Amino acid sequence: MKARPLDVAAAGTLLFALGAGLLVPPDAVQGDLQRIMYVHVPSAWLAYLSFTVTLIGSVTYLVTRRMRWDHLAGAAAEVGVVFTGLALATGMIWGKPVWGVWWTWDARLVLTAVLFFVYLGYLALRRSIDEPEVRARRAAVLGIVAVLQIPVVHFSVTWWRGLHQPPTVLRPDNPQIDSPLLFALLMGVAAFTVVFAALVSRRKELAEIEDAALAADPGEEVAGSAVAAPRLEGGTA
Amino acid sequence: MSDWGWVGFAYLVVYGTLGAYVVSLLVRRRRARTGPR
Repeated sequence: MKARPLDVAAAGTLLFALGAGLLVPPDAVQGDLQRIMYVHVPSAWLAYLSFTVTLIGSVTYLVTRRMRWDHLAGAAAEVGVVFTGLALATGMIWGKPVWGVWWTWDARLVLTAVLFFVYLGYLALRRSIDEPEVRARRAAVLGIVAVLQIPVVHFSVTWWRGLHQPPTVLRPDNPQIDSPLLFALLMGVAAFTVVFAALVSRRKELAEIEDAALAADPGEEVAGSAVAAPRLEGGTA
Repeated sequence: MSDWGWVGFAYLVVYGTLGAYVVSLLVRRRRARTGPR
């Protein structure tokens, strides 16, 4: 498979963001540990963006009934689950040396974990239905309802008191961060956004190939079809 | 573990996961094109 300009741009910006994250001066309070922020925060923001794209794809599918929008919604949700998992993982890795624990029952952490599992459920729903139109319709409804979690997750740090710090950049007053650190953070966000676009593009294409293969050969085995109900011998239950 | 150790661990998780996801897309694409083996 040939690399496209978007793939090359994703790899390039990711390398640039890696350099920026490792080379900017350390934070005055947390020192070098602060560098985890340059991958943690972009992961969380891209999770929000992914599920917003899933919302757009879901609504547009229900209006137009064109499968390309369902493919977009499904692709963005899968990539969003990856980014949500990364936000959780990097948050835990950051939390251990700073808070002293891998996990705490803080509102932001719990709600992010719930977000992760709800979208895992969304992906499971998609895999459980073979008929493309039925799958698209049911997934679209869940894709619209599930996105309501995002504002709750984002504002949880201001609505409930917990260990997680309040917003640093996306806050009503000015961002509370020095310019070099803000530069590295925005580079991380830019790089992850290009990576997101490249991954969603590739995943959407894969969904189109899978649906085309299913349409060409409806009898072909698909995921889950190997698990069949047991056949009862003798005709008695 | 040192601060840089934690930073390296976090970056390894992020870049490793993204790389693994790209590989999974390539494998699934090839499988979808050629059919199950």
